[in-house]
Amino acid sequence: MTAVAEVVSDALPVPGAERKPLGRRRRIDPANALLAVWGVLGFLFLFFPVLVIVAYSTNTGRLLQSYQGFGFNAYVDALSNSAITDAVTVSLYVAVFSALVSAVLGSLAGVAMARRAGKAWIGWMTALLGLVLVTPEIVNGVSLLPWFVTLGTDLGLTPVNSGLVRLIIANSLFSCAVVTFIVRARMAGLSQSLEEAAADLGAPPVRRFLDITFPLMRPAVISGTLLAFTLSLDNTVLSSFVSTADATPWPVYVFASVRSTLRPSIAAMSTLMLLLTLVALALVALVLFRARKVTGDGAGLAATLAGGGGGVGGN
Amino acid sequence: MLAAPIGVWLLFFFVAPFLLIVWYSFGEKPSLYETHGNDVFTLQRYADAVTPAFLSTFGRTLQISLLGTVLCLLIAFPMAYWMAVKLPSRYQGIALGLVLVPYWTNFLVRTLGWQITLSPSSFVADISRSLGWGTPDLLYTAGAVQLGVVYNYLPLMILPLYVALERMDPRLLEASRDLGGNAFAGFRRITVPLAVPGIGAGLLLVFVPLMGDYVTPAVLGGAAGSMIGQQVAQQFTIAQNWALGSAMAIILMLAILAVVVLFGVLFKIVGLIVSRFEHVAVIEDAPGVSA
Repeated sequence: MTAVAEVVSDALPVPGAERKPLGRRRRIDPANALLAVWGVLGFLFLFFPVLVIVAYSTNTGRLLQSYQGFGFNAYVDALSNSAITDAVTVSLYVAVFSALVSAVLGSLAGVAMARRAGKAWIGWMTALLGLVLVTPEIVNGVSLLPWFVTLGTDLGLTPVNSGLVRLIIANSLFSCAVVTFIVRARMAGLSQSLEEAAADLGAPPVRRFLDITFPLMRPAVISGTLLAFTLSLDNTVLSSFVSTADATPWPVYVFASVRSTLRPSIAAMSTLMLLLTLVALALVALVLFRARKVTGDGAGLAATLAGGGGGVGGN
Repeated sequence: MLAAPIGVWLLFFFVAPFLLIVWYSFGEKPSLYETHGNDVFTLQRYADAVTPAFLSTFGRTLQISLLGTVLCLLIAFPMAYWMAVKLPSRYQGIALGLVLVPYWTNFLVRTLGWQITLSPSSFVADISRSLGWGTPDLLYTAGAVQLGVVYNYLPLMILPLYVALERMDPRLLEASRDLGGNAFAGFRRITVPLAVPGIGAGLLLVFVPLMGDYVTPAVLGGAAGSMIGQQVAQQFTIAQNWALGSAMAIILMLAILAVVVLFGVLFKIVGLIVSRFEHVAVIEDAPGVSA
């Protein structure tokens, strides 16, 4: 009975799947054409200000907003201005370390939450992480500022007085919640039988983790860490509250310039950073693509990135 | 046990600082040279916070946020649907990458791209002048802020919608067609119900940061488009009144939680009503289809 049902359900979609492309080729469905136009317009909208910035990075004038002539002076200015290069260095440094902190904390918590589903503390943990995600940055910023002052000066915890440490801590909060949800979403769908088999065959816990658990969670950890890195690189509100004069990250430098004068060098440095992220993105795509080929894992780049979105969305 | 480190980390750097500003908000600003003091225990800061100016900014913030969230949904849904359902799967990864690339350019810099575009000396203004329409008054308006926030938070709506729609089995739509349903019925009964978790996540992901945003209004809004986040920030950075600023931050936080909870409840109720209504309709429709 079940066998018959399976045969029928397997056979049914085939004629439909064959018919569909033919029907599409014959005439263009106006609804589909409209959707495609809408999608392309949407992408143009998303790219528009980025293209404006790239175009204005070739502005030879003194003010960013008024285009004087074409040239690459702004790139020379940007790379020779130590305030700009220092700010970018601070941002990259903070992004790397806060991504690492979030990756470690989030991966551990994500695995624990997926594997111990149903325990009472998981509800509390989910609520806490959810609260982290729904707290606006401005509230985080204004509460961390006095907290760091209290810890650093009143309680004598001197490391907290360092601007870099403050930035790394502040930027890791949101990201570690994001990584947790991504890793949990990935691990929740996988059975534990492989690990149990390894345990039966006498593998010690460390070996089991390195050989089985970690490879399984790797796509989630990579996309989570990457997301954490970019969230940190992008962070303006929180950073402007906790940063100190000795460690000004790039967005805070730009925000300060908005209030005084915007120079084309800001657009030039942004264009360079865009190229950098594009190269990084291409590298990650390549790594994931090769990983898929090697392991035969069905999760491609799209699924991994989507897993990222799904992890956040799953909250 | 593995989750202990993150628990400690968040208790120490998320919960504790929040409790600290709750404590500050019950205090006062004792003198010109101090930012806060807790010699008194009073709710006066909350009363101070709720001035007519604060309320009107709060109202504008709520309006910009709600409208912005709805606009994001309306723009993102067809895009996500097109990406997830209509695009061949080998192009979906590229499309997803294209959504993320602008998002990975700095938030503030992208907003600057809009500032350049909307400014009176931009190419848009040049075109408008050459057509004889005069210099358009675009920058430093509430409309500019609205455009900026819709732009800035759009990817946060596209991603969860895409994830939800991508999991949809296209055979469900074919089945609906085979059973005599038209395109609209398939959309209403299959696509939308399956996208509901993605819609919920997207609304949340857009609305919450939008309420607290103070970068976009600072760059595009000027005085006409200021939002509540700027007022909170001012108390900490310019006025140096941490007690009042804390009270404002907590009011903002409570307002956001209230909207999120209210929205969650509404979402559940609507879902229940729709599922009951749809359930009945399916049974009633069945004989009609076979006839």
